[in-house]
Amino acid sequence: MDGLSANMTTPRATDIRIPGDKDVWVLIGAELLTFGMFFVAFIGYRALEVAHFNASQTALHRNLGLLNTLFLVTSSWCVVQAVRAAREDRPASVARSLGIAILLGISFMVVKALEYTELVSSGVGMTTDNFFMFYYCLTIIHLLHVVGGTVILTVMWANARTGRYHSGNTKGLETGASYWHMVDLLWIFLFPLLYLVR
Amino acid sequence: MDERTSLRYELISAWCGPAFVITFVIFWLGFGHNLPNPSPALTATELATRYSDNLSQIRLGFIVSMITVCLYMPWTCVLAMQMWRIEGKSPLLASLQFMGGALTVMVVSFSAMYWAVAAFRPERAASDIQTLTDTGWLCIDLQYCCTTLQMVAAALVGLADKRTVPLFPRWVCYLTIWCGISFFPASLTGVMKTGPFAWSGVLSFYFPYFCWLCWFSTASVYMIKEVRRRITAYDGVKSPAGTFASGMSR
Repeated sequence: MDGLSANMTTPRATDIRIPGDKDVWVLIGAELLTFGMFFVAFIGYRALEVAHFNASQTALHRNLGLLNTLFLVTSSWCVVQAVRAAREDRPASVARSLGIAILLGISFMVVKALEYTELVSSGVGMTTDNFFMFYYCLTIIHLLHVVGGTVILTVMWANARTGRYHSGNTKGLETGASYWHMVDLLWIFLFPLLYLVR
Repeated sequence: MDERTSLRYELISAWCGPAFVITFVIFWLGFGHNLPNPSPALTATELATRYSDNLSQIRLGFIVSMITVCLYMPWTCVLAMQMWRIEGKSPLLASLQFMGGALTVMVVSFSAMYWAVAAFRPERAASDIQTLTDTGWLCIDLQYCCTTLQMVAAALVGLADKRTVPLFPRWVCYLTIWCGISFFPASLTGVMKTGPFAWSGVLSFYFPYFCWLCWFSTASVYMIKEVRRRITAYDGVKSPAGTFASGMSR
């Protein structure tokens, strides 16, 4: 977010500025803490049966995981573009960038659904073993965040179409953007932890 | 009813919040032997033994819990009134919070009732005791969304509260949303029998229940403060010297 602040064209009173509603960072911090707990639990359980976790991991489709990582990172970039466009008073560009971010969020959900379908049809479920318990539980909880984030992006997209966001009003947009970056960040931790760590 | 009496009832109702938390911890968690709670991985016989070994305490715990959970009702009503005042003409979210709170009481109450039934005839077949215990836990763990909606409604109204001294500070509103979200892992209890996502697990039991009580306690503090502010304002108008204010807010 510092990069964003540095690129701002409008001068501000302070050099360091918290983007969006400062109190939303309580929610973001708490969410990161929650997922931190999930990650610690995963690492702890994994330590008890490393070989088994590694064996189960081979059933996952790394390429699909990578594809989803690209989707989320790109959508985060689109949201950054939307915030920048709002600061530069380009309303059409705000809505367009948010629209692309929403489509990428939906693509993430579709790929995840494909992955789940594939895994379930190959006989791997939530109760198969501890690895898949974590895989399903963590990715489903994250997926709920993606769904929630996409709803937030959609509300912002609808607002942007009415020209609500401009250089004088970016707070709401930044608040939603901060949440979406968090959803992205969580996946950036989840992806290597579940798909790659060996 | 005169306004002063009405304010006094509001204050009592708001204090029902802390009273609920205390009694819930003592009776539901303590006497009910829910700390730690029975693992879903226990065999039917182990579970039946758990009931028969602690019969009196479990009976006392859940029977009293079903009474004291009703303290959640007046608390919900005060919050609904406070939200209504913020919302104005169309108290949609206040109504949603009101329904969410009322249904939360039923969800918590019914789960305790299944366990009370299990403890009623401890000599019954162990598999029946297991079924009743399962029903109780899945009742409370899978139906959390009534409470989540209650919390989200309260948070949204809190965020829209533009008064100089709002009902809830903004950080409390965001904390409320997070606590509501923290219940999601509890849905996994419908499938898992072991591990952190089972109904006795850290991530589906200890963490979300802690968040729930944490939100409830924090919200109670601010609700009581709001009622006290109104009492002070009322007494200030009635007696500019403020002689009643100290008496009322004690």
